[in-house]
Amino acid sequence: MPEQFEPKILGFLCNWCSYAGADLAGVSRIQYPTNIRIIRTMCSGRVDPTHVLEAFKSGVDGVLVTGCHIGDCHYITGNLACQKRVEFLKKVLEEIGMDPRRLRLEWVSASEGGKFARIVKEMIEEVRKLGPSPLRKEVVGVEASV
Amino acid sequence: MMEKTEPTMPATEEKPRIGVFICHCGINIGGIVKVPEVVKYAQTLPDVVYAEDNIYTCSAEGIASIKEAIKEKNLNRVIVASCTPRTHEPLFRNACQDAGLNPYLFTFANIREHCSWVHMHEPEKATEKAKDIVRMATARASFLNPQEEAEVQVDPSALVIGGGISGITAANCLANQGFKVFLVEKEKELGGMLRNIYKLYPTDEEVSRILESMINSVKSHKNIEILTSAIVKNVEGYIGNFVVTTIKEGKEEENKFKVGTIIVATGAIEFEPIDKYGYGKYDHILTQVQFERILQGGKQAFDKFVKPKTVAMIQCVGAREEKAPRAYCSRICCMVAVKNAMQIKEWYPDANVYIIYQDLQTYGKDYEEHHRKARDAGIKFINYTKERPVEVTLGTGKKLNLKVYHALLGEETQLDCDLVILSTPLVQHQEGKDLSKILKVPIGPDEFFLEAHVKLRPVDFATDGIYVCGTAHGPKDVGESIAQAYAVSSRAAGPMANRKVRTEAITAFVNRDLCVGCRMCEKLCPFGAHKVEEGKSTVIEAVCKGCGVCAGACLRRAITMRHFTDDQILAEIKTAFLSGSGGVGGL
Amino acid sequence: MSKAGLVIGGGIAGVQAALDLADQGFTVYLVEKNPSIGGRMAQLDKTFPTLDCAACIMTPKMVDAGRHKNIKLLTFSEVKGISRKGKNFLVRILKKPRYVDETKCTGCGACAQLCPVEVPNDFDERMGVRNAIYVPFPQAVPLIYTVDKENCLECDLCKNVCGVNAVDYEQQSQEIEIEVGAIIVTTGFNLFDSRKKEEYGYGVYDNVITGLALERLLSASGPTGGHVVRPSDGKIPKKVAFIQCVGSRDEKSGNTYCSRVCCMYATKEAELVKEHVPGVDVKIYYMDIRAFGKGFEEFYQRAKEEFKINYVKGRVAEIIEDPNTKDLIIRAENIELGEPIEDRVDMVILSSGLVPAATNDLEKILPIKIGEDGFFVTANPKVDPVTTSVEGVFIAGVAEGPKDIPDAVTQASAAAMKASIFLKE
Repeated sequence: MPEQFEPKILGFLCNWCSYAGADLAGVSRIQYPTNIRIIRTMCSGRVDPTHVLEAFKSGVDGVLVTGCHIGDCHYITGNLACQKRVEFLKKVLEEIGMDPRRLRLEWVSASEGGKFARIVKEMIEEVRKLGPSPLRKEVVGVEASV
Repeated sequence: MMEKTEPTMPATEEKPRIGVFICHCGINIGGIVKVPEVVKYAQTLPDVVYAEDNIYTCSAEGIASIKEAIKEKNLNRVIVASCTPRTHEPLFRNACQDAGLNPYLFTFANIREHCSWVHMHEPEKATEKAKDIVRMATARASFLNPQEEAEVQVDPSALVIGGGISGITAANCLANQGFKVFLVEKEKELGGMLRNIYKLYPTDEEVSRILESMINSVKSHKNIEILTSAIVKNVEGYIGNFVVTTIKEGKEEENKFKVGTIIVATGAIEFEPIDKYGYGKYDHILTQVQFERILQGGKQAFDKFVKPKTVAMIQCVGAREEKAPRAYCSRICCMVAVKNAMQIKEWYPDANVYIIYQDLQTYGKDYEEHHRKARDAGIKFINYTKERPVEVTLGTGKKLNLKVYHALLGEETQLDCDLVILSTPLVQHQEGKDLSKILKVPIGPDEFFLEAHVKLRPVDFATDGIYVCGTAHGPKDVGESIAQAYAVSSRAAGPMANRKVRTEAITAFVNRDLCVGCRMCEKLCPFGAHKVEEGKSTVIEAVCKGCGVCAGACLRRAITMRHFTDDQILAEIKTAFLSGSGGVGGL
Repeated sequence: MSKAGLVIGGGIAGVQAALDLADQGFTVYLVEKNPSIGGRMAQLDKTFPTLDCAACIMTPKMVDAGRHKNIKLLTFSEVKGISRKGKNFLVRILKKPRYVDETKCTGCGACAQLCPVEVPNDFDERMGVRNAIYVPFPQAVPLIYTVDKENCLECDLCKNVCGVNAVDYEQQSQEIEIEVGAIIVTTGFNLFDSRKKEEYGYGVYDNVITGLALERLLSASGPTGGHVVRPSDGKIPKKVAFIQCVGSRDEKSGNTYCSRVCCMYATKEAELVKEHVPGVDVKIYYMDIRAFGKGFEEFYQRAKEEFKINYVKGRVAEIIEDPNTKDLIIRAENIELGEPIEDRVDMVILSSGLVPAATNDLEKILPIKIGEDGFFVTANPKVDPVTTSVEGVFIAGVAEGPKDIPDAVTQASAAAMKASIFLKE
């Protein structure tokens, strides 16, 4: 019986909106699968393209970047910079032969706990269909060094 | 200037000694995640010298336990794995600080909101995920550096730009608090727009009385230095330390001085409706402000101008348009019309006075009352729509003929008027637009100054230390302007009273060896925290808010964020999944 | 003179005034009658005209107030008496018993998970439920549970599961006395009791609700998780109507003033309903649209043009319920066309006006002048918009009269300024 492929999703959540949204999902006890690991930044604008590429290099199957809704950014325009960067990154992924759907950008406000859980569930399923990341084979068996 | 220890980038020399405290949070975490197993796992992680579990880490016992462990086990990094940093980070940071450990050597692992509470039916997987989360935190912790929240000295002095009612009020308030105030006014006289106004609504007080006494108190205040016929030419620096250059009208001489805070109170001017409704073409068509000037002369002056039998006021002239900049409603014109209509009725009880309006903005508790009084006094209100504007033509004698489509009655009316008054919006002036560039503060699509946050920071700019009040911010009446002037004084008084502000510890750091001066950071920063000088970017720490947009954009990887460095983030990325086991571990 | 201030009422105006005063170095007592600060703004889903998430922008301020070293938060407390002591005020405050030890409770929520009692909760305008041991909303400040003794069964389930033994059924109320130099009143508002407009059927017809109740339906953390559904049968509405000026500009109901925010909040809610329910038909029955603030006119034009919300100038004479479907039939007059209207809709939202909050006899304790409409009166609405008839007492926010959030926040800072000058004398 083949084991179902469990995608590894890495999430970058901004402190002011999306991290709070994920917290609210917890407070509301909205359940979602365990496939995601979360990294907190102050603003979605902090997320560097190299961070995303490094994540894929480490064998992650999907990267979720979340921030405040446009117009609500705590630092006013940080999420706009993030949006441009993700658009650019998707093109880069395509160039290197990775499906751009492995990178997803979403705006989640502090009151959208349900939305956060839904996005995580959707992304897990979507990436599951895409299969393991083509970069994975190269890092399996290598111990993550700190 | 600034007291701050230079951050050590990369990580400090000494070997990390990490203590991990894993919380049960009663059954909230402990009921799903096998906490003792996670503790055992934590003990195997690199650099972890101590790990324990607590029922409630945030309780008095838990806090005491952390402090004790720091001292006894000589910890130089602390991790608490429990709920969300958004509520509890300050608490644990304080605990570390009390025990002599820099609070930025502490980091959080969220295993409740992001783990036990959302994976309640998968306890094994939740436990494995908790281990991953703890491991990510320890990896990050190894790269943490101590940080100091620097203090920036704040000069207890303010620059108030604009000597109208808002500027005068703010200047008085701040001076009464003991702060030195520089009041800069472009005209020869103080008073601004109010010098043109006859009476205030709804109290019917004469402006001249109120304005006189306020101007006198400003002139006689020992803390206020007034510069009239002067404008601001340049502003450098940041909160607490602005260097202002002013210049007198038509003269070469400049005046340079230092202030701690800046208040923009530059007011607004009335829009002149050239070519609208016959303005400029026919006699006896005025704007409300022009009308006020006539009223200021009293009834005799008015009699000489015109003895009105029929007066019509047309609302929303040049306002509420399809496109910016005048797409807005100017808020006060309906009440101004009501006030002036009542004044005409007072002097000429037999006159027919019409207010031709689109939506009547007599809002709130007092103004609606005034509207009813106006109707009771016999003033007639005619509702018209944008789609069928009023037509103004020259009638017989010196009269003006108005064709109005009465929207509520569905019929056309004709009025023969001695006097037509056009209610036009307040608009931003050129000096205001120039000032926005000098101060590097934004104006909105309506060209008025744009505040930091429309709801919760209505008088602050995003740039620290600069504030705005009065009609410079947007159309409003005298009472509302004064309230804003008080508010602005309260906001500016905070930093000035304390003589200092704490800056963010999470700030940008530029590696000057790598920086090529491309100015990307300078362009992107919404707070003006990057300044490129001599081909390199310098961070003005006092203004940096720590968002990291610059760091994420720098193509040379020359910028990183303290407490959210690339090393720290990459450490978390690389340890997020137990790839060592070869499988999909943790899932 | 005492260098401390008292702020009565912990809504957005009270929180702002407290923060401003505290930032200037004064000790501030912030008294709030509910278990948490936040007031009405915490109940809103989004705010006009920017459609910011209300909780997102408010909670950082609430957390700041809760953590500020100069602010002493006294929640679930009421002011019972104020007297003069020289230049100062001597204030008696009653701390009502929560039956939970504030010093021990960690806000973990294990108690509420087990509580068998469910009662309609005020925070959701009684459209949702809470337990007998509860926090009013998840971002409450302070995050401490409270026991509703009236509905509590004293079954001990919460007591037994609490890991720090914080539940204490024997807790007594506490009387605290403080001495302050200045007082700022920010007691906010209630909604007009729409049952007084009998012809609209509020309180009788299931599907006639207030704008504030709609906010809770719209909120993702509300009783329906953000789904706009009819109270009677949970159906998604196809046609929704808003009625303006309910309890405002209305001789019959006794409130002749304009509540100032309803045109805008109805426009906002109408836009949100359109977003939540694709294809829904939304009408707003109005007298005048008051969109006078910054960005308001543009917001209103967008609602008409982009969102296709139908603004009908008309007075609604009465609303009738179809007893079978619980649909509502609106009888109104279209003033522009001069025609009578009969409009069948699934849900009616009453844009109820703002009335001063029942200040629990605050008027008797503090002899500040009150206007005919019940709102506190300032010395001069033009040149002194925050000073009252009592020296050293200032007011801000809707306690002084209906206004929106930016105006309330501005007035609160203004009151803090005046209080600060007064305290320094």
